[in-house]
Amino acid sequence: MRTFFAEAALLESLREIPARVGWALRIKILPALLDLTFLAYVWAATNATYSYFRFGFLSFSLLPWWWMVIVVVAVGAMWSAWDQTLGMKVVNRELSGETDFASRFLYAVLWPFFPLALLTAPFDPKARTPGELLAELTLTEVRLITYRPWYRTLTGWLALIAILSTLGAAVGVTKVEPGRLVTGFEKTIKFWRAIFSPRWDLLGLGLKLLGETVFMAIMATAFAVPIAVLLSFLAARNLMRGPLGRLIYVILRMIGSFTRSVDAVIWAIIFAVWVGTGSFAGVLALFVHSIVDLMKLYAEQIEAIDPGPVEAITATGANHLQVLRYAVIPQIINPFLSFTLYRWDINVRMATVVGMVGGGGIGFRLIQYLRSWAFPEATVLTILIILMVWALDWLSARLRAKLA
Amino acid sequence: MPHLVVENLTKVYERGKIRALFNVSFSVEKGEFLVLIGLSGSGKSTLLRCINRLVEPTSGRIFLNGVELTKLSPRAMRKVRRKIGMVFQQFNLVKRATVLQNVLAGRLGYNSTLSTLLGRFPKEDLRRAQECLERVGLLDKMYVRADQLSGGQQQRVGIARALMQEPELLLADEPVSALDPATSHSVMQYIEQINKDGVTVIASLHFLSLARRYGQRIIALKAGEIVFDGLPEAIDDRKFKEIYGEEAEEVEVR
Ligand SMILES: Nc1ncnc2c1ncn2[C@@H]1O[C@H](COP(=O)(O)OP(=O)(O)O)[C@@H](O)[C@H]1O
Ligand SMILES: [Mg+2]
Repeated sequence: MRTFFAEAALLESLREIPARVGWALRIKILPALLDLTFLAYVWAATNATYSYFRFGFLSFSLLPWWWMVIVVVAVGAMWSAWDQTLGMKVVNRELSGETDFASRFLYAVLWPFFPLALLTAPFDPKARTPGELLAELTLTEVRLITYRPWYRTLTGWLALIAILSTLGAAVGVTKVEPGRLVTGFEKTIKFWRAIFSPRWDLLGLGLKLLGETVFMAIMATAFAVPIAVLLSFLAARNLMRGPLGRLIYVILRMIGSFTRSVDAVIWAIIFAVWVGTGSFAGVLALFVHSIVDLMKLYAEQIEAIDPGPVEAITATGANHLQVLRYAVIPQIINPFLSFTLYRWDINVRMATVVGMVGGGGIGFRLIQYLRSWAFPEATVLTILIILMVWALDWLSARLRAKLA
Repeated sequence: MPHLVVENLTKVYERGKIRALFNVSFSVEKGEFLVLIGLSGSGKSTLLRCINRLVEPTSGRIFLNGVELTKLSPRAMRKVRRKIGMVFQQFNLVKRATVLQNVLAGRLGYNSTLSTLLGRFPKEDLRRAQECLERVGLLDKMYVRADQLSGGQQQRVGIARALMQEPELLLADEPVSALDPATSHSVMQYIEQINKDGVTVIASLHFLSLARRYGQRIIALKAGEIVFDGLPEAIDDRKFKEIYGEEAEEVEVR
């Protein structure tokens, strides 16, 4: 009888082992690893800053790598023993117990052995690290927030060093040299002169290219809208109920966010390779991007409709199509039109950028002029683009205000 | 034969496993004005929506004119819904549409899908829409957008939409809870008038004083079960406390 209960208890605790190990990982191991990563980063950033400003070259570790390991682990141990570290903050823990110098010192010395918590976890529900066991300090949930100004904490200083060294390293990595703005100015004089003497005889050509660009945008938008409308109903959470519906919803949203995260310029490069450079490649790039962008905007609008009218129209005995026509569409039609205009507006601007990477239209010609230092010609095209963007901005804002 | 019979109706919402109605049975005679009362969350809305199956009952049976609604196909149910008008606490009008468009929507079930999708309604329906709007005193607002109207006016449009269905049964889910007391009475009087013209009315009301004033009979729900079914006069102080809880005080809506 006794042994039976003992065995049952043992079995019970065996079953808990995976959960305990998981807990040790989450509360003890990962926060400490986060601290080590942070300190290693600070090491690299301070080294880069120092080497750049002292010697004029970039080095992320001036000393041999094992120096970095020693320093990072030593600072990590001190930080953990005397302050609430970044990792401890993340999991909302603090060190509590006999917090005299001797205990803290012992804790710091034993801190590097924190991965052993994975070994104690099966036997100890608290998964104590060697430091916790021997120094009689424990990581407990934060109870009282003791306020100390940042300059009285190690964390505060480490954060300051991290911020400053990040800025310093950034200057080094991007080679910021304000002086060159002055020394290199005379090289641009030809450019400025050219800008103020546009080749107005190219106006006709420019307008033709501008027209081509606007039509690229219209084509892309016009073909994207019907597809996006259809897809948006399938990508609206409130319409896609049930397991199959949910699956379609998730897949569409995933494809959408993936496609959208690839910039239209990248799509233009892909299509320029695929179908050859020219307007068609540009149209395809804008088309793909517009579909997924509009699908998301439309779907969110469908998700935001007031379900009341849907219920009321259903209650009159109307069928699904009638409910769609009389309760759903009136609520979404204006936002849909507004989004479409907005997207067309974006497409016209993007058409010029997309053109630069082989998508045809005015952008393609502009980049050719710029590459061959034909600035007077480039200026004409640039002025036309500015005027068009400005006019469109005004027009679409006016139209959208009407739709609101 | 009673107009409406509800037998052992139970509704459990899958989401949250909430038992909104439990074993509810009652019947309503033709032309009756029945009022549902109960605390919020007691199941009034669920009960009304089970009758026209906007909410699918979990078990139990519902008969209208002896026809078992709970057995009907979706298509047959749509036909029956045409004769059941409904008005809502939040009015549920299409706000961007005109008053006329909202009222015409009451005829959707009677017209062919194709012509209504094109937005066309028979002349007869237009005439009827004018009549219904005249009955609720809003003929002059016909071409105004619904969101331009006050709450009371919007609810009257809701009533006109229900009237368009030429209903034999009117379900009203807290029709005046979003309105101030004076407007409440004016709206309730339109509903009372519809009842006098022979339409059976089931209305849920938040205030007992309104229920007493308009109801011929009262059913009280508590946690999804019927705790009172009888004449308004029969609700005394003790019954009141049983329905609304010990702390409740009766207030008057004038
Ligand atoms: N769609 C729903 N899904 C889940 N639970 C619901 C839903 N609608 C209502 N309920 C729950 O059912 C109970 C009854 O609600 P309801 O019928 O709206 O009561 P009342 O109209 O009397 O306020 C409440 O507990 C409510 O939270
Ligand atoms: Mg309700």
